Amino acid sequence: MNPTATSTVPRETPPQGPPPKPFHLPATTDFTLPNGIAVTMVPYGTVPKVAMRLVVNAGAIDESAGQVWLSKLNAALMKEGARTRSAEQVAREAAEMGGQVEIAAGSDFTSVGGVVLSDFGPEFVALLADVLTAPSLPASELPRLKADLQRELSIDKSQPEALAQERFAQALFPDHPYGRTFPSESDLQGYTIEDVHAFYRQNFDAVRTRLYIAGKLEGDLRRAIENALGGWAKGAPAPDLSAHPAKARSFHLIDRPGAAQSNLLIGLPVAAPSSPDFIKLDVMNSLLGGSFASRITSNIREEKGYTYSPLSQICTHPHLAYWLQSADVATDVTGPSLHEIFFEIDRLRNAPPSVEELEGIRNFLAGLFILRNTISPDAIIAQLHFVDSQGLRRSYLSTYVQKVMEVEAADVQAMAETYLVPSKMTIVVLGDQARIADQVAPYEAAALADG
Amino acid sequence: MSIAYYKLPNGLRVILSPDYTAPTVVTAVYYRIGFRVEPRDRTGFAHLFEHMMFQGSRNLGKMEFIRLVQQNGGVLNGSTRFDFTNYFELLPSNKLETALWAEADRMQGLAITEENLKNQQDVVINEVEVNVHNQPYGGFPWLWIPQYANSNWYNSHNFYGELKDIEAATLAEVDAFFKTYYAPNNAALAIVGDFDPGEAAAMIAKYFAGIAPATLPPPPDLTEPRQEEEKIATRPDPLANRPALAFSYHMPPRGSPEYFAMGLLDQMLVQGDDSLLYQELVKKRGFTGEVSGAINELGNMFDYDGPMLWTAALFHDATVKPEQILAAVDTVVESLQSKPVEQSLVDRSITKMRSNLYDILTQFGGFGRADLMACYALFDDDPAQIDSLEAEFRKVTPALVERTAREYLRQTNRTVLLIEPGAEESN
Repeated sequence: MNPTATSTVPRETPPQGPPPKPFHLPATTDFTLPNGIAVTMVPYGTVPKVAMRLVVNAGAIDESAGQVWLSKLNAALMKEGARTRSAEQVAREAAEMGGQVEIAAGSDFTSVGGVVLSDFGPEFVALLADVLTAPSLPASELPRLKADLQRELSIDKSQPEALAQERFAQALFPDHPYGRTFPSESDLQGYTIEDVHAFYRQNFDAVRTRLYIAGKLEGDLRRAIENALGGWAKGAPAPDLSAHPAKARSFHLIDRPGAAQSNLLIGLPVAAPSSPDFIKLDVMNSLLGGSFASRITSNIREEKGYTYSPLSQICTHPHLAYWLQSADVATDVTGPSLHEIFFEIDRLRNAPPSVEELEGIRNFLAGLFILRNTISPDAIIAQLHFVDSQGLRRSYLSTYVQKVMEVEAADVQAMAETYLVPSKMTIVVLGDQARIADQVAPYEAAALADG
Repeated sequence: MSIAYYKLPNGLRVILSPDYTAPTVVTAVYYRIGFRVEPRDRTGFAHLFEHMMFQGSRNLGKMEFIRLVQQNGGVLNGSTRFDFTNYFELLPSNKLETALWAEADRMQGLAITEENLKNQQDVVINEVEVNVHNQPYGGFPWLWIPQYANSNWYNSHNFYGELKDIEAATLAEVDAFFKTYYAPNNAALAIVGDFDPGEAAAMIAKYFAGIAPATLPPPPDLTEPRQEEEKIATRPDPLANRPALAFSYHMPPRGSPEYFAMGLLDQMLVQGDDSLLYQELVKKRGFTGEVSGAINELGNMFDYDGPMLWTAALFHDATVKPEQILAAVDTVVESLQSKPVEQSLVDRSITKMRSNLYDILTQFGGFGRADLMACYALFDDDPAQIDSLEAEFRKVTPALVERTAREYLRQTNRTVLLIEPGAEESN
């Protein structure tokens, strides 16, 4: 096993293969019901399964300060029966179609959906519509579901990354629901069935709802949709609750005595997806820390061995975005890891990447785009929902690859220079304070100096 | 979908299965060496070795393999499982030849330095820390319960690795492991997606036919004795703040009628909100919010070849005692053992299984299909088996379900793992 460098045999060049085949996005059929529900159907693939998601503009963002997780409690209760069906009947009917009803409440949306055998498409539409528009929300199940959420809360708060993320969200979104990750035990205990009913009534209606269906489509789905959802009350659009994230240096050290690793989170707001800079930011992020071969990953994983899975990403809410680098690093290299991350940020801010490095990243994103739009019906739905929820035109998708290919090396540097300003970043370090306080002191001091 | 299967003269098993849904292609190389079979004083070695396969070969230096796939618009990964280690790329379909060339390069031989080995020992130690030691419930139940349920070392050792064993690995051991197991006659190459089988076969011959086979060691005895007494293990978890409970039963032999019946019992008992244990433990008793369960928690019920467990797990409150939970589980299990289940329950579990099979086969752009075909090529010399799975499940009768529940869901075939929380409630 000699190192390649000492080999005298000339190296082969990888075969390039033929030019790429043209890629066309799966075609969609779009229509809007008279009550405002926007429907997108995407016939895709040959496997006899179909994914459906009813996505409502309702989530944590609609909670007041004393209502954290009320949206989750509402989602849990929505599984407890609909119209004339008991929860067990709902579960059984979905199982007989080869799926189950999945309800998830996130920061901005609650989705009601599932994936079933294509034969049952129209029936599944009817079942999902009942769960969404006529949930029983029974008081009888409230104590049990609250106990489940108390357990979930307790377990979440034992997870290091959850605690680091909670602090990061607080720092970035003070006085906004995005900054409130966990309820207090007593708040959660106090939620009543009236609270849930009011939350549902205020936030669930037709104009706040989109329906996505993708996969092998069988039967008269359009008719099923019109029958099942056409009668739902139109309601009022979602209020504007947009956030104004903090863009100022702050440093947060959370003590976790005895921790084997430190969880690092570093980030700040960047341009929203509707900005012309967004695709350039996407390229910059992929090159800096957002891919396996990226600079930060090459440095702190493949050269230094400080960490296993570092990653930078551009996280989005509707109409806003922030850049976030995360890494779980060995305790004794907490300071050096921060040093290397900021070293790589500065390096990109100070010099454009080589054309070769940039080309590699552009090709990566172009290829990834094909995967993201073909890998599964739910992936196709996620792409479409991103575009719709950001208020972008669907042509965002059809022109994406071309725009990626037009990003220049100077653009990448400019994005880093303009947006990744270290003196405006929020830094969260969760770890064994006794062992890392000295290592992270320079970053703490910088925060004080800036503040 | 069509499946072509053949072997190169050097023993490499090749499976070609075109699917023109998307202009992408999966290239997957499976080596028949998993973490069961690793040196006894080197736990975690099979997995550490997997990392070395990304550290350099003759024509691809460190990071170059990763960069090559990425800059051609693809993603890649490797994983170490009970009975195989896999390496795969998902790429735009015009890059099939690039992937084949790169996989052949590292099958031909590695070029690794001391420095690269040390680097990956650090990375793997960080991986174990982040996934197990620094995490409440880190190895629950996937890493821990096999260690209690099994008695044969191959099945019962810590396969993620003791840190001291990971640290002790040497370059000579890496070299020997490669020479022993990473040979074409111990491997399968599966291609799924948008490609022409004739062209692919020619490229495969060009890049792989010249790689020399190795003399393979005889397979070790992996068998587990019949379990005759229930085992109950308690494991303190200083980072956890709520108790957790898992239980496992040893599976019937793979491919037997009882094995397919257990696949349906898994569907009946824990898969979905309609399942019997969800209805009993979550809905009726309120012991937990969720019951998870699986045959082979690191894959699915098809991609292993040796003793296996069916496992279910849940988190609960300290006010609920494990005895109460197990008594409720027993009620459900006894209802399956005392009389044949209703045909409608069997039918529903077959529908769920059929739906699940489609999901497995289409998982990650066709990777799931490559996974099953490569496994069946390596384990049974028969990748086309994937097309007869549904028929096997359809043969299962209520009487067979009852018989299988009696023998395999025996209490004396069970291992229970209790997590005792050591952390304060934080709030």
